[in-house]
Amino acid sequence: MFVARSIAADHKDLIHDVSYDFHGRRMATCSSDQSVKVWDKSDNGEWNCTASWKTHSGSVWRVTWAHPEFGQVLASCSFDRTAAVWEEIVGESNDKQRGLSHWIKRTTLVDSRTSVTDVKFAPKHMGLMLTTCSADGVMRVYEAPDVMNLSQWSLQQEISSKLSCSCISWSPSSSRAHAPMIAVGSDDSNTAYSGKVHIYEYIENTRKYAKAENLMTVTDPVHDIAFAPNLGRSFHVLAIATKDVRIFKLIPLRKESAVGSSGPTKLQVQILAQFDNHNSQVWRVSWNISSTLLASSGDDGCVRLWKANYMDNWKCTAILRGDGSPVAGSSSQAAVPSTAGGPQHVLLQASSAGRKKAQLIPG
Amino acid sequence: MSGSKPDILWSPHHADRYVICDSELGLYRIGPVGCSETKAGALPLSVETAATLLAINSDTPYMKCVAWYPKHEPECLLAVGQANGRVVLTSLGQSHNSKCKELMGKEFVPKHARQCNTLAWNPVDSNWLAAGLDKHRADFSVLIWDISSKFSPEASVAAEKIRLSSGDTDSGLVVTKPLYELGQNDACLSLCWLPRDQKLLLAGMHRNLAIFDLRNTSQKTFVNTKAIQGVTVDPHFPDRVASFFEGQVAIWDLRKFEKPVLTLTEQPKPLTKVAWCPTRMGLLATLTRDSNIIRLYDMQHTPTPIGDETEPTIIERSVQPSNSLIGSFAWHPTSQNRMVVVSAANRVMTDFTVFERISLAWSSTTSLMWACGRHLYECAEGVGGEGTVEKDIATKMRQRAQSRYGHDTVQVWKNHLLAGGDDPQLKSLWYTLFFMKQYTEDVEQKQQGSKQALVYSGIKNIVKSSSGTTENRRCWSGSDRQTDVPRFHSEERSLALRLCGWINRGPDINVEPFLRSLEGEGEWERAAAVALFNLDIRRAIQILNKGASAERGDLNLNVVAMALSGYTDEKSSLWREMCSSLRLQLKNPYLCVMFAFLTSEPGTYDGVLYESSVAVTDRVAFACMFLNDSQLPRYMEKLTSEMKEVGNLEGILLTGLTKDGVDLMESYVDRTGDVQTASFCMLKGSPGEVVKDPRVQCWIENYRNLLDAWRFWHKRAEFDIHRSKLDPSSKPLAQVFVSCNFCGKSISYSCSAMPHQGRGFSQYGVSGSPTKSKVTSCPGCRKPLPRCALCLMNMGTPVSNCPGTGHGTGKSDEKVDLTRENKLAQFNNWFTWCHNCRHGGHAGHILSWFRDHTECPVSACTCKCMQLDTTGNLVPSDSH
Repeated sequence: MFVARSIAADHKDLIHDVSYDFHGRRMATCSSDQSVKVWDKSDNGEWNCTASWKTHSGSVWRVTWAHPEFGQVLASCSFDRTAAVWEEIVGESNDKQRGLSHWIKRTTLVDSRTSVTDVKFAPKHMGLMLTTCSADGVMRVYEAPDVMNLSQWSLQQEISSKLSCSCISWSPSSSRAHAPMIAVGSDDSNTAYSGKVHIYEYIENTRKYAKAENLMTVTDPVHDIAFAPNLGRSFHVLAIATKDVRIFKLIPLRKESAVGSSGPTKLQVQILAQFDNHNSQVWRVSWNISSTLLASSGDDGCVRLWKANYMDNWKCTAILRGDGSPVAGSSSQAAVPSTAGGPQHVLLQASSAGRKKAQLIPG
Repeated sequence: MSGSKPDILWSPHHADRYVICDSELGLYRIGPVGCSETKAGALPLSVETAATLLAINSDTPYMKCVAWYPKHEPECLLAVGQANGRVVLTSLGQSHNSKCKELMGKEFVPKHARQCNTLAWNPVDSNWLAAGLDKHRADFSVLIWDISSKFSPEASVAAEKIRLSSGDTDSGLVVTKPLYELGQNDACLSLCWLPRDQKLLLAGMHRNLAIFDLRNTSQKTFVNTKAIQGVTVDPHFPDRVASFFEGQVAIWDLRKFEKPVLTLTEQPKPLTKVAWCPTRMGLLATLTRDSNIIRLYDMQHTPTPIGDETEPTIIERSVQPSNSLIGSFAWHPTSQNRMVVVSAANRVMTDFTVFERISLAWSSTTSLMWACGRHLYECAEGVGGEGTVEKDIATKMRQRAQSRYGHDTVQVWKNHLLAGGDDPQLKSLWYTLFFMKQYTEDVEQKQQGSKQALVYSGIKNIVKSSSGTTENRRCWSGSDRQTDVPRFHSEERSLALRLCGWINRGPDINVEPFLRSLEGEGEWERAAAVALFNLDIRRAIQILNKGASAERGDLNLNVVAMALSGYTDEKSSLWREMCSSLRLQLKNPYLCVMFAFLTSEPGTYDGVLYESSVAVTDRVAFACMFLNDSQLPRYMEKLTSEMKEVGNLEGILLTGLTKDGVDLMESYVDRTGDVQTASFCMLKGSPGEVVKDPRVQCWIENYRNLLDAWRFWHKRAEFDIHRSKLDPSSKPLAQVFVSCNFCGKSISYSCSAMPHQGRGFSQYGVSGSPTKSKVTSCPGCRKPLPRCALCLMNMGTPVSNCPGTGHGTGKSDEKVDLTRENKLAQFNNWFTWCHNCRHGGHAGHILSWFRDHTECPVSACTCKCMQLDTTGNLVPSDSH
């Protein structure tokens, strides 16, 4: 069903994040080599690196695109305690002729006193806003009041949660029935502090975000969090990467009273699925555009795809090894006669996958 | 390492060899599975690799620790530390060159016997072998032996003896005088040479870590700590050292040796091994006792002694190479992140590679990109997928958008074919919408407005308003027996039957055309059931016979026909008894409900009404015929809420395009995410009602957003046109006004409909039959329009005087033959300009200029007009 191919990334160190733009024709990657690269897809489907520049003075953890209606804008965050906003400019050099583009820094957000672990733009209907979260547990909301001026960002709100934050996600719903919502995950390893996922909702009256929900059942460190594209649904779906993959459904309980209430919406929280097939830490989760497919990656070195049937039963539909070769469930099990079934065959495949990977690495 | 607990050592020079030591030494070679070299007796290590045992050495009992000689020659020389403190040089494999032979079997004996805990070869001066021993009173615990040293006088005498009596080798080749003796009155648990200088030795002593400098043995640097086991230097960072105690790992910086720079989270069980990855920066693997996982610490950023305020970034990971408990592991010296793991029992080995953390992202077109280590992988949904896997709704919506799904506004039912024609719910939905539309059109012809509003409100509301119901008892056609089945009629019920598609327009209830179309589609059972519900047993039997004889027909239908023909309405007959019990075994729901109908009492048709595998249209039609005025609304209510609950689109028949319908659609969208169907369906409703519902607006916005993300801009534009026809309020205002440089008025001719435009200009509009010269001038002040930057002619031609439509006031003959060529030619005459430098001209001229140039055609303007907009350079993916 899925076929993978390798792309020479040419980063000098580990790549920490990869992000598509709205149309899926551009991509950005960031790495421990302190740089960000921008890739453009050519008409024949090849990815060409059109920009690569040093963005920070530390590992760049995450990179993300703004909606194209704000221009070609990227945000990155780093171990160097800053987040930065970048804009592509044209017309000043002939770089585009040579297939290169030029990106300039529009702003540096320096409020954090520790490593900034994630940065995300708000959905476009909210205007040009972004949030960051940092290792000392502070979530910050910034807004560019003038979308034409990317160098002016005002800090709208700071929420401190004491637990170190690792990931952040905006609810993408543009429905007027849903207030803007942000989920923050913590990778604090102390399981005694339960509730590693906090959900904040925008309160119209106070013009501030307030805590709407704390997922108490999530006690292990959370490494990634992702709201599913809403696509007109009446509820929210949230995927969490912790020691397993979890999918939560958050149903806003409709308030009969007037909209201008002072408190956050009550959410009914249901767990839709929980998978420990990665056998260990899960690092990333990502939804497809219709939120019907979830991809996750874990310490077993595999990418797994999950899909729900019409009954909301989630199942694994594909396993891909980190080096892109597909794992055919049963057939490969037969290839390892000495091991007892179960999850082991996957692990063995992960190990053999590394053999190939070792060959792929140049120099 | 103690007892027979296994350990692994990779050969320092042969990337495919390693030694396992437990009670004996075993040398293995690793190779791909199925390779000729490894075939015989190979042990599988992973799917792709296997190991072959090359040699076994069991000469050295009481092994406590082993170290592999670091130099190329002799290649397989091992030092073994024994329980009595002796260090023996031994070898594995066939190498029998002279140098090796000389060293083989050489023993280094401490003064007092006690356990040898650790061994370390000096990586530079490879003759030096450091041994760490347990404490023995005031004796030294760190001994550095020179393996090339000549035998001590006593020993050489013994050696003489050997030459004479060649059988006994153990008594010879004994060295008792070490090169250096260190660590007096102490015990040594771990050792490693510092790469900074070959004369520096780091030792984990009883209660401290000590650095011995061999250039001045009286001096040592030490720090008191409990973490003295397993000292090991980071191969990528010579000042970084790890050591452990019980479950805790301490990381040291030798430049700031007073205290650990960092301690890692304590593990509940004692650690047995800690090792830096030789192929990857800052990756430390640790193993605890009785565990099947290897814990990894990825030190992306650790505090340095200089900038000590930075917080460490350590990513803790765990990998599980196999299910069994792990005895030991060893990183491969050169293969990236690869290790071999040996189980605690039975010497089961696993070849395992630690993957880097994978980050991933989906694109809007369902391709997945992930990064693993320094590499990127893209993975697209393969074409020609298997039939078993249902396509994702995103893929379906894309395909449907391309096949113009939803755009057939005449033959509305055809939309379900455009959607692929394989979804029964969509089929039912589009037929329902088709029948509703057909009815309203009929009503319009008859100029009766009353029912029009009602028809889109669904059967549930239609039957509620039902009045003047008549009841009759009809004969079975083709039989003179009187039935006692009451059938109900009313205008509303006929309308409902029409919406169900059972009957056509007209006053008669004639299902014959419907039966024939069902026969045509091969739905024999359904046709038979419909015939039977219309009390025509003979027709039903005829249909079944036809079905049995049809191509690929089911012969059992004849049997069913036979059973039908035996119908009797006697309450206690055997036929009745058998039918009501055996009907449940019929697989086809329609055959099942036929017998349910025949065997049930009048008015109690639950067997038919609640058979959920029968299409909702048929059940509703049945209900409209056989339920009385009190039963019918109740049944409709129940069915509607059931449909709403599950989001079944067949229920739109009941709810119509009302608020109820939106509720139903909401649960359909919640379930499927199919905003495309939801948008198109709701746009069929009468304007101003459902379309205004915020949920409907939300679906429409989401669908438009999807089309935009897929770059289906043409489809989006078509959708907007379609939408504005049905919902005029959604029409966007003009986005650009071009005003004259002189008078500041709009130069547009045809925009008189715009409310904010001055009155004065309409008198200069099209009505005034402008001559050619006038169209190159402003309609407001008659001043000429700007010139094209390339041809230097004033803008404005007969075809371009109406920007926005392209063929507004052109001559009539031009309108007729608007071929593609012609359209483009007209586009060439359009105004166009760069919003940045505001130079412009005829679109055709400008386009052809930028085919060869990057800068603006106006002299001294360096604007790169064509590159300003990245999105503008994207090609819509739905243009043909």
